[in-house]
Amino acid sequence: MADFKIKLAIIGVGRMGITHYSIINSHPYVKITSVADTSSLILNLMKKYLNGIHTYDDYNKLLDQEVLDAIIICTPPSLHYQVAIKAAEKGIHVFSEKPFTTDNYKARELAAIFEHKKLVNQVGYVNRFNDIFRTVKNYIEKGVIGNVIRFKSEMYSRTITKTEEGKTWRDSRENGGGAVFEVASHAIDLVNFLIGKPDKVTGTSLTSIYSKNVEDAVNSTFLYKNGISGTLNVNWSDESFRKPTNKIEVFGSQGKILADQHGIKIYMKNNSSENNLREGWNTIYITDIFKPVPFYVRGNEFTAQLYHFAECIKNNTIKNNCTFRDATNTLDVIDAIFNDFELNGKF
Amino acid sequence: MQPIDKIIFGDNQFFGINHMSQEKAQQLAEQFFDIAAIFRVYQMAFDSGIRAIMLNSNDRASEICSHFVANKSKYPDLNWYPSIPYPHKYANLISEKGIIPTINEILFKDNSAFGILGMITKGGAAVLGKDAVKLMQMLVDVEMKMFKGLNVKVVFLQNIITDLLLGYGVGDIFGEYCDYIRKKYNAMPGLITQNMPYLMQKLHEWNIDKVVICSSFNKIGYLMSPDTDSYIFEARKNDPLKYQIMAMSTLASGAIPAKEAYEFINQQNIQSVVFGASSKKHIEETVSLIKIK
Ligand SMILES: NC(=O)c1ccc[n+]([C@@H]2O[C@H](COP(=O)([O-])OP(=O)(O)OC[C@H]3O[C@@H](n4cnc5c(N)ncnc54)[C@H](O)[C@@H]3O)[C@@H](O)[C@H]2O)c1
Repeated sequence: MADFKIKLAIIGVGRMGITHYSIINSHPYVKITSVADTSSLILNLMKKYLNGIHTYDDYNKLLDQEVLDAIIICTPPSLHYQVAIKAAEKGIHVFSEKPFTTDNYKARELAAIFEHKKLVNQVGYVNRFNDIFRTVKNYIEKGVIGNVIRFKSEMYSRTITKTEEGKTWRDSRENGGGAVFEVASHAIDLVNFLIGKPDKVTGTSLTSIYSKNVEDAVNSTFLYKNGISGTLNVNWSDESFRKPTNKIEVFGSQGKILADQHGIKIYMKNNSSENNLREGWNTIYITDIFKPVPFYVRGNEFTAQLYHFAECIKNNTIKNNCTFRDATNTLDVIDAIFNDFELNGKF
Repeated sequence: MQPIDKIIFGDNQFFGINHMSQEKAQQLAEQFFDIAAIFRVYQMAFDSGIRAIMLNSNDRASEICSHFVANKSKYPDLNWYPSIPYPHKYANLISEKGIIPTINEILFKDNSAFGILGMITKGGAAVLGKDAVKLMQMLVDVEMKMFKGLNVKVVFLQNIITDLLLGYGVGDIFGEYCDYIRKKYNAMPGLITQNMPYLMQKLHEWNIDKVVICSSFNKIGYLMSPDTDSYIFEARKNDPLKYQIMAMSTLASGAIPAKEAYEFINQQNIQSVVFGASSKKHIEETVSLIKIK
């Protein structure tokens, strides 16, 4: 096993692909053999500075010609499906960036194929690997705040802060752009991860602030048959945030959790010595709970998610933490948001 | 290798950067909205004997630099430790426009800045893209413009860039960066990293030395990959004539009390500490606690 290396390719080497390359290239059991992108600039640079890497301007050629164990897909979202389906035919494990297709039917199809073929399949909902949100999940599952009653999931970033000319894929919903696919998907996935998938979506508003063709902000309400309810509030045109920020608030019968990527505040109705929490407010910082990673580029969670992907390939008994099935559930909610807005959100 | 300053005054506190708390960050941003408040804090640092400043090339930094250039006679002789680039500027532009248009905008927006090269506006970055070294040099020049007229001792590459390139294992680019900083700016090259042990091993392998390495260094291993022990070990076997090590995040964003933090730091084989604070009390306390050899 010692000299077995996972042979891996990266499809789409833009912002995300560039980061993922650096991180996974540090993994002792991974060897990146090839990349595909339509930009000749990036291909030329990689050929020139990275010894022995094979570069392709067409991912089909890459998948036909390379002998591979795994790929990481970082193309614009509308291409994720066709790349993944071809990889499945060839028996290749896939890590796909979110939202992993823009269509929940196709997503379901992919999930089924990969499950059937027993191929590792993972989507880049990176918050699932953030030490804070993992701790929140653990608290909720252990019932630290009792039964969940209400919640808020928010996300803010300064992605689009000027009038958008409508030239990039980010300004087209068909191509997977817009604040719902790009940003809210993270906040929705966090709800699915922490609370579960909502049974009903209602009260959606989609607001354009700078973009011509897509929404820049979204509000929505999530309802559950068991009585839980929550709201989603996302804005990718909020300059007051220096970095993309997720916030979550969960109110339960025994207390309340407030969390963002930096830390957790918990209000407890009663003392809980087994969880080291006292009655009233408690603060837990990222410095109290972080798990170090072997190599850091841009946040522990980015390394943790890709190393997890590699682990799952090496050891097929490990359960993946963010599968195509999980991401399909997130797409179902996204689909419900768009439908609700079409039906009820317009005058 | 010329020794660097033992104590360097950092800048995160001025720009609303706090890794641990959004609220604290917002509060700091408000406190330093007025640039005069920043200069008052610098004065406190000088009063407690500090003569070295580390400053990231962000939007507000150019205002700070011009002030110190224009008022040189009012201040003691200072050593400057710029860190480049300001990553968020690029991150935001890239998410709005894409990678190539961003580089175009940054390099060619202000045509006069590059004389003849400025004339190749559209597609300029694409031409340069074939030559990453030239591209790197031009980006360094853009970021360094604001530090003109100051006594620059070390030019640091931000960890987001250092660690990204480290992951690719491209020794040549590191070598070229270091050469360029020495030749063009007559300064020492510096690399900020959150993977200090791995970076040091690679630099040895690539035969790149006479570099200043800046990395988080604290007892609890916060922002230190893979772990604290590897850092202690790597620092212990380091020869400071080859690499000088500068510690940052010594308090782990406030998780470690200052006294305890520096008791640990003072035992390490490191050459320098960069810290930020915004009150006289904290500045003086920190200066008195740092006793590295
Ligand atoms: N998890 C996160 O935090 C996060 C953050 C940013 C982006 N993303 C996701 O990553 C994906 C990519 O986003 P990005 O910001 O890197 O976009 P990008 O536009 O920077 O990169 C996309 C890359 O794909 C290439 N490409 C386009 N068509 C191609 C084709 N047919 N074959 C091969 N390559 C092709 C482009 O040339 C470009 O280099 C998206 O799904 C996005 O949602 C995730």
